Amino acid sequence: MSIELLLALITGAALLGVGIYGALSQTNLVMIMMGVELILAGAMVNLVAFWRYLHPDNPAGQMFVLIIMTVMAIEMAVGFGVAIARFRAKGSVEMEEATELKG
Amino acid sequence: MTAQMFFIGFFGLAGVWFGIVVFRTYSMVRSALALLFSQTALGAMFLSMQAEFLGVLQIMMMATEMSIMAIFMVMFMMDPGGLGTMDMTHQKRLSLIAGFVSFVAAVLVALFVDWGPIAATFPDAAQQTVDLGLELLNRSMLIFEMAGITILTAMIAATAVAIKPIERITNKSKGH
Repeated sequence: MSIELLLALITGAALLGVGIYGALSQTNLVMIMMGVELILAGAMVNLVAFWRYLHPDNPAGQMFVLIIMTVMAIEMAVGFGVAIARFRAKGSVEMEEATELKG
Repeated sequence: MTAQMFFIGFFGLAGVWFGIVVFRTYSMVRSALALLFSQTALGAMFLSMQAEFLGVLQIMMMATEMSIMAIFMVMFMMDPGGLGTMDMTHQKRLSLIAGFVSFVAAVLVALFVDWGPIAATFPDAAQQTVDLGLELLNRSMLIFEMAGITILTAMIAATAVAIKPIERITNKSKGH
């Protein structure tokens, strides 16, 4: 294994850890989405590293990164639409206050 | 230490550091900007790994997305400037444990899995772009057609959810 590949994988792991911490600890919808963005970024770093150091002749690795970028954009668009609707209905986007569906 | 090793380590560290700053600062605008810097550092990391197209795309897209996120922060947050130092977190200990365990698990996988031989050569930037274009138009065309439809659906759904409902005036409310 090359040092560069290991550095990239450790970076991806760190972004995963920070993203999971953020997504679980934050109460605000926008901040939770930031955590999810970091998790997806960690996945992208791993994919680019695998493409570059293991299979540089196979463009599928880069294509997968484009798919993840698409997912990030879709997640932000729908998430902010939901945030706007929630803010208009209840006046805040705090997830601890969103208990209407609680059994 | 080669230059590539240095830059990958440097930009990776910057990306992780700014990612941590996102959840450390009280100012929501600074959180959005920290996320922007984190994503930009990762784009620079892609450039260090000679994925030029993806690196430029990452920097361009994330700069736009995070700027929009900063605007939403100012719209929806109670204290976007962070002057009140209000703690808006919950289950911190559980989150720290979950984050740390996932980090350790991913690092152990990276260290102990046999990833196979390291590729000796790689295509140059122009050839990468050609290969990616051919991949999109040949084997992965269905995937990207579906991605395009999914994006369109998401745009319509987000717009529909975000539109302010029209208040309908009924005969009853008019007093008839």
